[in-house]
Amino acid sequence: MTLIALILSIIFGTASLAMGYRQAGVSDYSIWFLLLAVLWLVAHFRKYDWFSSVALLIIVVAAAYGVWREFPTVWMLLGAVGGLLGWDLSDFARRLSYAAPMDDTREMERRHLERVGIVAALGVGLALLSLYIHINRLAFEVAVGLLLLAVLGLTRLVIGLRKY
Amino acid sequence: MSRSLLLSILTYSLLLTGIMMVHGEFITLALPLVAYLLIGYLQASENTRLEATRHLSLERAAPGQDVDVTVTVTNLGSSLEELLLEDMLPAGLTVRSGQSRHLLRLASGGSYTFAYTVAGPRGAYAFEGLETQVNDHLALIRSKVRVEAKGRLFILPPLTRVRNVVIRPRRTRVYAGTIPARAGGSGTEFFGVREYQPGDPPHSINWRASARYSEALYANEYQQERVADVGIVLDGRVKVNEFAHGHSIFEYSVQAAASIADALLNQGNRVGLLLYATYLGWTFPGYGKLQRERILHALANAKTGESQVFSDIEYIPTQLFPPESQIVFVSPLMEDDLRPLIRLRAQGYDVLVVSPDPVKFELSYLPASSHDVELAGRVLRMERLVLLQRLQRANIHVIDWDVKEPFDLVVRRRLSRTPVWLRRLGR
Repeated sequence: MTLIALILSIIFGTASLAMGYRQAGVSDYSIWFLLLAVLWLVAHFRKYDWFSSVALLIIVVAAAYGVWREFPTVWMLLGAVGGLLGWDLSDFARRLSYAAPMDDTREMERRHLERVGIVAALGVGLALLSLYIHINRLAFEVAVGLLLLAVLGLTRLVIGLRKY
Repeated sequence: MSRSLLLSILTYSLLLTGIMMVHGEFITLALPLVAYLLIGYLQASENTRLEATRHLSLERAAPGQDVDVTVTVTNLGSSLEELLLEDMLPAGLTVRSGQSRHLLRLASGGSYTFAYTVAGPRGAYAFEGLETQVNDHLALIRSKVRVEAKGRLFILPPLTRVRNVVIRPRRTRVYAGTIPARAGGSGTEFFGVREYQPGDPPHSINWRASARYSEALYANEYQQERVADVGIVLDGRVKVNEFAHGHSIFEYSVQAAASIADALLNQGNRVGLLLYATYLGWTFPGYGKLQRERILHALANAKTGESQVFSDIEYIPTQLFPPESQIVFVSPLMEDDLRPLIRLRAQGYDVLVVSPDPVKFELSYLPASSHDVELAGRVLRMERLVLLQRLQRANIHVIDWDVKEPFDLVVRRRLSRTPVWLRRLGR
């Protein structure tokens, strides 16, 4: 179950990016995304666990580059979501490999896929919503609130980084 | 790099890029990642409190014997979505069946029991506990918790029952036993004739002697049989026990020490054990079943070792053994051991050497067809023979044990005492 979802996520993510780049007329990059998908799958089956993080990084950077170059945002968004799902499921599949044959992993898989599906749907929903809702004027209090939230988040990030 | 950190870096990079470039679509791209992070953090388990208990089907086992390990883990904290349990196996034990690692979901208050079977070589094994890894729903927050579940397993050396081990130390203890005490009294062995004393049993009167010397009655005196102090010295020096390609004769020495200790304790003697290896492992002398357990536990722990201080046996601390008591030295022996052993004998100790034959042991796994091996084997055999003969000439009893033969057979041949009725028949 997880393996099928993982393969579909990787294909979905890379294909979305390839499609977005192709629609923008940069077809040359599409083949690289397909190659990334193949490499990711090979790395998964060869148990190179670190590769999924590298793949996510590449996909997000590629999506950001596409957004900057004003390629179709929906494809970039779907590519990032596919990468996120692939990254999550790669790690989940690795964790499942620790289970003993008698462990009931089917129920765990079902619950995890449900949850990840909800997260992905929520993320895509929010992102699509943000594409269509534009706030031209932001109240000062809201802007300050958002700024504080950003500072708080950055602080947490710095604290997290200092641990490593 | 942790998953949450990677995702945070990506998210904040997108957000900051969006803010700096005043480009809302970067923020749009970050939103799925934000949703993932938020949900992951919000659903993280609040507190992890696990408790575990362990049950072993046996606490004393023989080498290679299967032992069932049952572990029950109870969740006393909040519900755990993903819990990876791994029972930390002591080094040396191997899992024969079942699994010591499990992945599961454990509700609050719930418990999970798993079992597996282990086996291993001689040794004392301490189970400490379980390594657990708790993941939240999206595995963003991982915590590793060590849950204590102690247990001890002793894999004891194989014990060959040996009967009638004859030792004759000069000095015995006051309690009745089986060792001739070189003193007249009640016993089974004839010791001498003395004048009849009032109170002597009538059947002890030696009528033949009394008839010859008519002025008095004479009575037979028998040799008292008592228990003795025995110190077993197990030689654990690497240089005498370990051979090329990881072969070791030490297991046989341990087996011999266990069997001799068991036999001597069964005879009622006070037995102590000294492991002579990296350090001196001293098991204080004692009697009976409890002492046998102590010695077997010490032998289960016994390992070969190297030490500059104890590289020669001349540093055997003789003050641990009562004067003129019995010392059983279990060792494959090397040439340098001759002098210290003779010195022990000269100090009045009765010394018995049990020596698993290292030459035959080493030759058993070397290529028999090789001329060099055959020649070296012959030379070493002669050297050993000379060494053993010199020991015997110093009145040291030697059991030369070819480890292919069962130990009890060898001991019976060399040390057993002929039953009284057979001796009376003159055999």
